Amino acid sequence: MKNTMRLTVAAATVAILFPQLSWGQDFKPSKQIETVVHTGPGGGSDLFARAIAEMLQKENLIPQRMQVVNKSGGGSAVAMSYLAEKKGETHTIGFFTGVWVTNPLTTAEATVTIKDLTPVVRLVLEPAVVVVKADAPYKNMKDFIEAAKKSPNQLRQAGGSVTGRDNLMRLLIQKATGAQWTYISFPSGGERLSNLLGGHVQMMVIEPQEAGEQIRAGNLRVIASLTEKRLPSLANVPTIKEQGIDVTIIPQARGVVAPPGVSRDVVHYWEGVFDRFTKTATWKQYLEQNQFEDGYLKGPALAKFFDDLTAQMRDVLKEAGAKVVR
Amino acid sequence: MEALGNLLLGFSVALSPVNLLWCLVGVFLGTVVGVLPGLGPAATIAMLLPLTLKMDHTTAIIALAGIFYGARYGGSTTSILLNIPGESSSVVTCLDGYQLARQGRAGAALGIAAVASFVAGTIGVLGLMLVAPPLARFALRFAPPEYFALMTLGLAMVVFLAGPSMIKALLALLIGLWLSTIGIDLFTAESRFTFGQAKLLGGVDFIAATVGIFAIGELLVNLESRAGAELFKVAKGFRNLLPTLQDLKDCRFAFLNGSLVGFLVGALPGAGATVASFLAYGLEKAFSRHPEKFGTGVIEGVAAPEGANNADAGGALVPLLTLGIPGGNTTAILLGGLILWGYRPGPLLIQEHPQLFWGLVASMYVGNFLLLVLNLPLVPLFAQILRLPYYILYPLILGISIVGVYSVNNSSFDVWVMALFGLLGYLMRKLEFPAAALILGMVLGDALERALRQSLMMSQGDIMILATRPISGTLLLLAAVILLMPAARKVRSWRLDAIERAG
Amino acid sequence: MIKNAADLISGVCLAAFGAYVLSAASRLSYFSEVGPGPGFFPFWIGIGLVFLSFWLMLPSCLPRRMAAKKTERAGWKPTGKALTAWLAIIAAVALLERIGFGLSFAFLTIFLLRGLEQRPTLIAFTVAVGLAAAFYAIFTLALGVRLPAGLWGF
Repeated sequence: MKNTMRLTVAAATVAILFPQLSWGQDFKPSKQIETVVHTGPGGGSDLFARAIAEMLQKENLIPQRMQVVNKSGGGSAVAMSYLAEKKGETHTIGFFTGVWVTNPLTTAEATVTIKDLTPVVRLVLEPAVVVVKADAPYKNMKDFIEAAKKSPNQLRQAGGSVTGRDNLMRLLIQKATGAQWTYISFPSGGERLSNLLGGHVQMMVIEPQEAGEQIRAGNLRVIASLTEKRLPSLANVPTIKEQGIDVTIIPQARGVVAPPGVSRDVVHYWEGVFDRFTKTATWKQYLEQNQFEDGYLKGPALAKFFDDLTAQMRDVLKEAGAKVVR
Repeated sequence: MEALGNLLLGFSVALSPVNLLWCLVGVFLGTVVGVLPGLGPAATIAMLLPLTLKMDHTTAIIALAGIFYGARYGGSTTSILLNIPGESSSVVTCLDGYQLARQGRAGAALGIAAVASFVAGTIGVLGLMLVAPPLARFALRFAPPEYFALMTLGLAMVVFLAGPSMIKALLALLIGLWLSTIGIDLFTAESRFTFGQAKLLGGVDFIAATVGIFAIGELLVNLESRAGAELFKVAKGFRNLLPTLQDLKDCRFAFLNGSLVGFLVGALPGAGATVASFLAYGLEKAFSRHPEKFGTGVIEGVAAPEGANNADAGGALVPLLTLGIPGGNTTAILLGGLILWGYRPGPLLIQEHPQLFWGLVASMYVGNFLLLVLNLPLVPLFAQILRLPYYILYPLILGISIVGVYSVNNSSFDVWVMALFGLLGYLMRKLEFPAAALILGMVLGDALERALRQSLMMSQGDIMILATRPISGTLLLLAAVILLMPAARKVRSWRLDAIERAG
Repeated sequence: MIKNAADLISGVCLAAFGAYVLSAASRLSYFSEVGPGPGFFPFWIGIGLVFLSFWLMLPSCLPRRMAAKKTERAGWKPTGKALTAWLAIIAAVALLERIGFGLSFAFLTIFLLRGLEQRPTLIAFTVAVGLAAAFYAIFTLALGVRLPAGLWGF
C-alpha cells in the first residue's frame, strides 16, 4: 500500500512539475487565447485574424475567445520578439505572413527568425494580379513589357516596402524580360491605389480582392495574374507564365505559429481545430469571397515550406541588392 | 435636387429608433474613448466588430462611425484640462487650450471646442453629401509632389509656433524632424537611429512622445513651484463656464477655416487629422489680428484645430465611400467592417446601397447634434476637475498618462519613451524651446521626406517637378508667402514707424 | 542674464548632437540612382542643427553681452525637485512590469506626495491606494484594457 501511495505522489509531482509529460491529457484552452498580429487594427493581418477568430467561434471549434493583440512595429519584428518572449506559453498564437520570413533576413535588429517559432498551420496563399488603369494602352503584360523596354525607367509601379513581394516579383520579371521600370514605395494600400487611379503610376501588383471593386466599376484592368494557374474569378486573365514570362511565383502565405518551446499537445490541438475548420462550408465561402487559394499545410511539410521560402527569399533579396544580414 | 431626395431617404433611415439609439451609443463611446489617451477609435472599433455581426449593417456603420467622429470631440477634453493630448489630432489644442484653462477659462475653451466641432462636423457632412464624388476625383490628382508641397506648407507653420526666438523654434523643428527619421526607411529597408532596439524599428510612438512632452513635462515644471499653490482658477457660476457671445464672434473665421482645411486634408489618403489641425492653427494665426497672443490662451487657437479634426472625419469618409480607399487607420478598420459584413466598398457602393451611404450621412448630422447636446452641459462638470487639489491632480495626470501610453501597444517600452520625452519637455520649457515646433517636425517629418523621395523617383531626379505641377506649385508658393510674412510684417512696421517719425 | 549661459550650454549640446547625426547619416547612403537615399534627410538635419546651434551660441559668446550676465541662480534650485520627481517616475516605469501597475503607481504617488510635497502620510497613502484602485476598476475591469500586471494580477 505504501508503495502505491509513493508512486501516486511521485506521479502527481511529476505531473505538476512537468505538465508536458502528462500523458493521456489532451490540451484544451482554458482561458482566452492571445492572438498576435504584426499590423495595427485595420491592417491586413489584423482583419484576417479577426475573420478567422469569428469563423472558428461561429463553427464552435474553440471553447474560448481569441483575443487579437496588435503588436505592430518594424515590419514583423515587434510581434515576433513578443512571441519569442512567451516561450512555452500555451494560450498564445501568432498569425504570420511572408513578412515574418523576409524581415529578419534584411533587418539586423529583428533577431527572431521564423525558425525560432513553432509552426502550426499554413492557411492560405494570397495570389496577386498585375493591374493597370482601365484606359491605359496596355492590354496585356506583353504590352507593358514592350513599353517599358522602349522607355527604360520611365514607367512607374506603386508598391509597398522594397523587400515586399511586389518589388521582388518586379525584379524577377525585369531579369527575365530585360525590361526596366521604376518602383515607388507607398506605405498604405490606399495611397497606392489612389496614385494608380490618378494616373501618377502606370501599374501595380495587388491582391485580387482589394482590386475587385475597382475592376467591377471599370476603373482597373487586370493584365496578368501572378499565379501558377488562372484564378477562378478572373478566368479570362492569363497567368504570367502563359504570357511567356517564366518567373518563380513568390507565394504570399498566411498561417499560424506558436511561441518557441510549446508542447506537441498544443500544436496537435490546433492542427485538429484547423483540420476540421478547413473542411467547413464557411471556410470555403471565405476563400471564395476573398479570392484566396487554399494553402492548408501542417507538420513537417510546413517546416520545409519555411526553409524553402527562407532560402528563396535570401537569393532573391541578394539579387535585388538588398542588404541581407542573416 | 437628387441629393435632397437622397438625404430625406437618409434621414428616414437615421431617425429610426434603433439607429438613433445606436448613434447615441456610438458617439458617447467615441467621446469616452477620445478623452483617454491611448485607447484610440481604431482599436475600439476593432474590438466591437464581432458584436456588429448580428446587427443590421446600416445600424452597425452608424454606430461605428459615431465612435470615429465622437472620438474627435472627446480628444479635446484632456488636452484642455490636463495638457494631455487624448488623440494625436488634439495635440495642437493643448497649446492654447491648456493656457486658457490656467487662466480660469477652461469652460470657455471646452465649450468652444464643442461648438467648433459641431460646426465643422456639420460642414464636413455637407461636404460629404454634396461634393464627395468630385472631391474624390480631385483628390486623385494629388501625387507625391502635391503631398510634398502640402507638408512644406505645414512646416511653414513653424513660423507661427516660434514665439520669441526663431532660432530655437527651428532647432526644435529639426529635432522633431530627426525623431521622425527613426525607424526603417521605407525605400531601402535600412534602419536609421534605432540604437539596436527592435522596438524602435517602427519609429518613436507619437502618443508616447507627445504625452511625455506635454503632460509629464508640464507636470515637472509645476512641481517646481511651492507646494499647495493652487494652479487653476475656476470661474464660478454657470454662465462663466461657457463661451461668451464675444468668443463665438471672435471664432467666426476659425470655424470656417477649421472646417475647410480639415475636410480637404481629410479627403487625401495618407494626410491625417494631425496635419489638418496644425495647418488650421497656422492659418488662423496667419490671418489673425493678434498673432503674437497665440500660445498664451487665444480662443481661436482652440476653435481652429478642433474644427479641423472634426471636419477631417467627414473628409476621410470621402475616399472610403466613393472609391473604397481607406485614408488612415480608423477608416481602414471601417473598411474592414464593411467587408466583414459582406459589402465591397468601391465606386459602386453608393449606387448599389444608397440607404447605407445616405443613412450614414444623415446619421452624422444627427450625431454631431447629439454630441453638441451631450458635451455642452458636461463642460461645467469637466471644468470642476480642475478644482481637485493638486495632490490628487498630479497623480491623476501621471496615472492617466502611463495607462494611456501603455495601452496603445501594450508596451512598457512606450512608457519609457514617454518618461524620456517628459524630461525633454521639461528641459525645453526651462530653456525656452517651443515644444510645438518639435511636435510639428515629428508629425510632418517622415511624410515630407517620403513625398520628396517619391517625387524625385517619379521625375527621375528632376526637382522642378515640384514647381511645374499646378497644385504643388500653388501650395509651395503659399508656403513661401507664409514664410516671408513675418519679414513682410517687420518691413511694414518699420515703414509705419518711419512714416510716424517723419510726420 | 541666465538665458545666455543656458543658451550657451544648450547650443553646445545641440551642436554635439548635430555632429552625431551627421556622422550617423554619413554611414548611410546619401544618394542612389533612384533618388535621395536614407542618409539624405538626416544629413541636412545634422547640418541645420550644427549651423543653428552656433548661431544660438553666438550672442552668448560676444564679449559685450557678458557684462549683462547677472546670474539668477535661484532659478535653478527647484530644478532639483523636478529632477528628483522625474527619477521617481523612471523608477516606477522600471518597476512596471515587475510589480505591476497598481503597486508601482501607488509607490510613485506616495513618494511624490509624502517625500516631495511633504503632505501627511495618511493623505499620501489614501490618494495612492484610492487612485490605483480606481484605475484598476475603470481600466482593467470595466474597459478590459490590459495593464502591466505584477505577481498578484494587478
